[in-house]
Amino acid sequence: MIELDLRLPLADFTLEVAARCASPAVAVLGPSGSGKTSLLESIAGLRRRVQGRIALDGVTLQDSTENVHLPPERRRIGYVPQDALLFPHLSAADNVRFGLSGSDAERTFAEAVDILEIGPLLPRFPATLSGGERQRVALARAVATQPRLLLFDEPLAAIDVELKARILPYLLRIRDERKIPLFYVTHNAGEAEALAGEALLLRKGRLEAHGATRSIVEQRLAEVDPSASFDNVLDGRIASEERDGAVSLELSGGSSLTVPASGAGIGQRAIFAVAPDEILVSLQPLVRVSARNVLAGEIRAIESLGSDAMVHADAAGARWRAHVTEAAVTDLQLAVGQPVWLAIKTRSFRRLR
Amino acid sequence: MTGEDFSILLLTLRVAAISTAVILPLGIAAGWFLARRPFLGKGAIETILSLPLVLPPTAVGILLLSLLRPGGPAGRILAALNVEVLFTWKAIVVATAVMSFPLLVRPARVAFEEIDPRLIAVARSLGRRPAAVFARITLPLAWRGVAAGTLLAFSRALGEFGATILVAGNIPGRTQTLALAIFHRSQIGQDGAALRLVGVTVVVAFAAVWSTEWIERRRARLRSA
Repeated sequence: MIELDLRLPLADFTLEVAARCASPAVAVLGPSGSGKTSLLESIAGLRRRVQGRIALDGVTLQDSTENVHLPPERRRIGYVPQDALLFPHLSAADNVRFGLSGSDAERTFAEAVDILEIGPLLPRFPATLSGGERQRVALARAVATQPRLLLFDEPLAAIDVELKARILPYLLRIRDERKIPLFYVTHNAGEAEALAGEALLLRKGRLEAHGATRSIVEQRLAEVDPSASFDNVLDGRIASEERDGAVSLELSGGSSLTVPASGAGIGQRAIFAVAPDEILVSLQPLVRVSARNVLAGEIRAIESLGSDAMVHADAAGARWRAHVTEAAVTDLQLAVGQPVWLAIKTRSFRRLR
Repeated sequence: MTGEDFSILLLTLRVAAISTAVILPLGIAAGWFLARRPFLGKGAIETILSLPLVLPPTAVGILLLSLLRPGGPAGRILAALNVEVLFTWKAIVVATAVMSFPLLVRPARVAFEEIDPRLIAVARSLGRRPAAVFARITLPLAWRGVAAGTLLAFSRALGEFGATILVAGNIPGRTQTLALAIFHRSQIGQDGAALRLVGVTVVVAFAAVWSTEWIERRRARLRSA
């Protein structure tokens, strides 16, 4: 449980956030320059001018009325900034070891290296690592210190990063296997939903919305952050092999999808993403069609985005977003509650990592 | 090279090394302080620290002499401690230390200024106290600037003349450094002997610069490996 009631004057506006977050993972959404990074830095204790109160699991980190300002080294909060900020003069291994001391240093080091799969990177120096590799090393460095809270700030540019280089699968493992609470800044709505049940939406330093990630993503995000990406993210387990290098991905609701094998073995957890542009919406059941996934569902919401629209539909036990033109909405007379069929080609699914 | 040349070289190297070693921690502290902390009177302190660069060395020498002379502010303390400084090798150390200090502080300060303060912040959020962060992150990252400043200061100490001659005299065998000896020999017409010492200084200077470059190249190779 993190309690925030803080104010921080910034160049263009004052960051003001009052919220209590109890979820194991909280997504922080909002356009660039809305104060997301400043919020994380305030929680980490890196901003001296923060006013107000911050408490984590009942421990007061900051309370300006009582003149409490715990220095960053005593907060036990792991912070991974947008640019990773690895120490350039230390190898990846020495970066990860930096915050470690005591008898269990080697064990926590090995665990962090294992969970982020950075073993082969250890002897290398930051200058020789790719952006995604740097972020994994920075995450390992933070995780190894066994923080009470992990703050992860994803750069806006990460939206364009190839799916297999994305950091989400590692964050899921940290959340599920290490049980470290997370604050996660992202511009990717699908990833926010996959990781965090609770979200904060910031605009110009103010808390626009706070609540279930799904409802914020569906009702407010496109309007507040036009650059957000709305990938559909599917978290499941590989159930069986199908023809032609395809496998069946079983979702938590019990239904399955046909996706490319992408190196995932039977029984393994795997995360796939599909862009809203890749999903076809039909008012009739599609038969004799080349797409191997045809899912019967129902429209839950239609969000107008000017010349086009986002159709939110429930199908196969998951919520889907399909990007269509405004003309398609009018011509097909799409409406909430209407039964629809979604068609998705196997090859449109990309495995993350 | 004669035995006398050799002892002049040894004295010069010794006082330059001691002088550089004395100002190194002070210069690092001053460079870091000026780079990081805005405080009242910062500009005044910066100017005072830079004065030895712009004043004639003889002017600095006179100032030091008036401080260190018997009955002077520093001279009284030294007398109470029973330490003799003026016209000994210690006076050379004082003169060269004061003259070379700004040459160490400037590059060190620039190097500290170039470090992203967020790196320091992240290092602290990993649970390390400021002193540990300084030793393991700040100082190693400022290494190039500190090394460049150290080399400059050492070179300045090797060649210091004006301030040295006023506080240490030019006593053969006691306070005669390379620079003073070259001047002395050319004054009394021993141009050949003076040139011999010039050759010695060239070799020393070359070795100092080259070894620093070599260390830097080795580090650069390590990092990009």
